Amino acid sequence: MKTSPPVEAPAPATTGTGAAYPSAGIGSSARLSGWRKQQIAGWLFLTPAIAYLLFAFALPVVYNVMLSFERTSPATIANFTAPFAGLANYRFIFHDPTSRGAIVHTFVFTAGSLFFQFIIGFALALLFSLRFPGRTFARSLIIVPWLLPLIVTGVIFRFLFQAEGGAVNQLLRTVGLVHHPVQWLNDPQLAFWTILIANIWLGIPFFTLLLYSALQDVPVEVKEAAVIDGAGPWQRLRLVIVPIILPVIEVTLLLGFVFTVKVFDLVIGLTGGGPANATQLITTWSYNLSFQVFSFGEGAALNNVLLVLALICSPMYLWLSRGSLRRSRGAEA
Amino acid sequence: MTRLQKSRALRLLCTLAAVAALVVILFPVYAIIVGSFESTETLFSGTFYWLPHLATLDNYRTVLHGGSANTQETVTGSQSGNVLTSLLVGLGTVALALVVAVPAAYALSKYRLRVTVVVVSALLVAQIVPSIVLATSLFIVFHWINLVNTYPALILADGTYAIPFAILVLRAFFFSLPNELMDAARVDGASEWTTFRRIVIPLARSAVITVAVFAFLAGWGDFIFALTILNGTGIEPITLGIYNYLGNFSTDWGAVMASAVIALVPAGIMLVVAQRYIATGLTAGSVKG
Repeated sequence: MKTSPPVEAPAPATTGTGAAYPSAGIGSSARLSGWRKQQIAGWLFLTPAIAYLLFAFALPVVYNVMLSFERTSPATIANFTAPFAGLANYRFIFHDPTSRGAIVHTFVFTAGSLFFQFIIGFALALLFSLRFPGRTFARSLIIVPWLLPLIVTGVIFRFLFQAEGGAVNQLLRTVGLVHHPVQWLNDPQLAFWTILIANIWLGIPFFTLLLYSALQDVPVEVKEAAVIDGAGPWQRLRLVIVPIILPVIEVTLLLGFVFTVKVFDLVIGLTGGGPANATQLITTWSYNLSFQVFSFGEGAALNNVLLVLALICSPMYLWLSRGSLRRSRGAEA
Repeated sequence: MTRLQKSRALRLLCTLAAVAALVVILFPVYAIIVGSFESTETLFSGTFYWLPHLATLDNYRTVLHGGSANTQETVTGSQSGNVLTSLLVGLGTVALALVVAVPAAYALSKYRLRVTVVVVSALLVAQIVPSIVLATSLFIVFHWINLVNTYPALILADGTYAIPFAILVLRAFFFSLPNELMDAARVDGASEWTTFRRIVIPLARSAVITVAVFAFLAGWGDFIFALTILNGTGIEPITLGIYNYLGNFSTDWGAVMASAVIALVPAGIMLVVAQRYIATGLTAGSVKG
């Protein structure tokens, strides 16, 4: 999470690894063989990872692009390839109301989640950076939602939002806000709110802890100086603290975005995409196209929409991670 | 109010706010634990009980011995078998992640290789790729090479959660090891492999534990690959077991909740024994899902 400027040492090739050896008494041939030995070892250490990345990421992504241009049927799965279909699959998903709905829902779901997760997470991060009894304990428990299997989270919220016997309705009735059970999971609009609420709950630990650790890195002198200059709490936050932690805010929102467009288990466990496809996201509808009706081509086309959406932020992510990217052996020497 | 009183009041207010936040954060987990001990009659009575009401172990008996009256889909085994399956998948994911990630992270931090920037960029981008995209293609690829419905297929797929993250976290850790350490071993005549095994790995223990905890939780909690790569016969992890209990029309809440609570056990254990490693991993910018 460090976004400090890169500190690439302009080390000449010969000193990169050779400098480690005492130069006196070692001939250039010995140094070369040491360098070669290390290159070979480095490559061998890296080979399993490269093989894995090619198999588990590159192959599926490329194959998914191929599939999206093919006319697939349950029978073609065994053949690995299917007849070329041109843009038919893409035409389908951009005309199919459920696919279009899923794309729109994904946008609204992501924007809504990030907005509330950020506000709540930031508020809690600020709370935890104040001194009060029990704050360490509270902070250690805040990560609970993040540890649960996502399908379990979905199931839990399904239980809480039941119309009859659900805790949410029970609370609302006890307080007197409603007199008839609210049909959280049967009303299309309310069902969308339930997946949003569950996802916000799920993301709070991540936002809170990342922003909290950023707040800890704000130098005390800076905060004190702002107090001496007569800045009120709101001014200090807006003019001093937020600008300092802005890089972390960016990374947090970016990663939050990446989490949220992928959400699948939660929705399957909570609403299953219903009622009337009101909570269908790109992920859940793509699953439906590929694995329920076996239109792998259409599912793949929808997957590619999701992939483009997710990868839009990858240049920004790489740029924010540039410090870590350029770091290599010798950089800190 | 004096200054002292004011600061005391403020601290009390903070504690109250934190308690309120914790109630909201923890209530869903509390509710499912209490619910898992309720009888079927209580669960379908239309009333939610805030405190345990006529606690019973029936739900746990049902799920651990297999079978459930309300289940629509065929549940192949009892949840106790599924727990074992999930444990195997979790441990398999840990093994795969460590075998692939530890040497790779070492190579990417302590060797000057031309591909370093490319591989690290690829890892950062790989974390972004949604699992459903991988699942669709991997299903067909596994189908093609006859691996559908096998442990290796599921573990290979679950590695996608853990491996990029593991390499990046371990790499950041390896940067903190001084280069002199490896160089001294080389001068003493140790091979690259010996240096890695005897010096680097022992020093990396805490980072390796962090990565292992995350890999285990990823394998244990995986649902999307279990749903797509397994065909529902033979191998059934607990996450899939819970999903099958949901049924299409009526949900057997007692069975669902008892299974869900069982699925929470590893997370609970980790929270108690590996708290330190989890906090480290979470702030290291992990990507889940």
